[in-house]
Amino acid sequence: MLILTRKLGEAIAVGDEIKIRVLEIKGGQVKIGIEAPNDIAVHREEIYLRIVEENKRAAQETPVDLTSLVSAFSEKKRT
Amino acid sequence: MQTMPKTLDTCQQEMTVATSRFGKLTIRAENIITMISPFLGFPDSHHFILKPHGTTSPFMWLQSLDEPHLAFVVTSAAVLAPQYKPAIPAPIRQELDATEDGPPLEILLILTIPHGDPLKMTANLLGPVVINTQKRLAKQVVQDPKVFDHCWPVFVEE
Repeated sequence: MLILTRKLGEAIAVGDEIKIRVLEIKGGQVKIGIEAPNDIAVHREEIYLRIVEENKRAAQETPVDLTSLVSAFSEKKRT
Repeated sequence: MQTMPKTLDTCQQEMTVATSRFGKLTIRAENIITMISPFLGFPDSHHFILKPHGTTSPFMWLQSLDEPHLAFVVTSAAVLAPQYKPAIPAPIRQELDATEDGPPLEILLILTIPHGDPLKMTANLLGPVVINTQKRLAKQVVQDPKVFDHCWPVFVEE
């Protein structure tokens, strides 16, 4: 892993199109500004991982038989 | 920016694609949904087809055309949770080529259906699939985790 030290207001350039800037440092928290093209997805890591895991789980668990769930869906869904 | 097809020649009118679940599918080019960015965790799948489970079923299969084994079970958010209003930021609307006067974007929810206990089915409200059905463009749009749950139970507890 590349490790760099930055001061408040300073940034890191990743390639030509991505900039990561330190905007605020306060009480053990760092506020970071990220400029990136629209097609680069930027997420908090824990949210990203939550979605990745749920996508994988959904893909793995896909049932063979959905038909038996059709009536349950119309009768018992919450809304 | 649109990703160029990697394994599919979408210029053809009709094509045959192998899938694990449905065998060989013959697909018309205009039915192919292109992901403007792939599902998180599945970077190699750019093209999908939405295959209804049945005329009276609320379920649909979102089958990858790039990875034969990859298929999600999805359902329309309007049917499952009519009050669900995910945030779709303007830049994403733009990427999806959605216009003010065009038809509304379609929201699908991915269902996780546990093998042993399908009634513990959950819907992923944190990562809805947003589709421009006219242009056949889609994206999984990550929501605020403080507002939406990634495993929202579909059924009421008995």
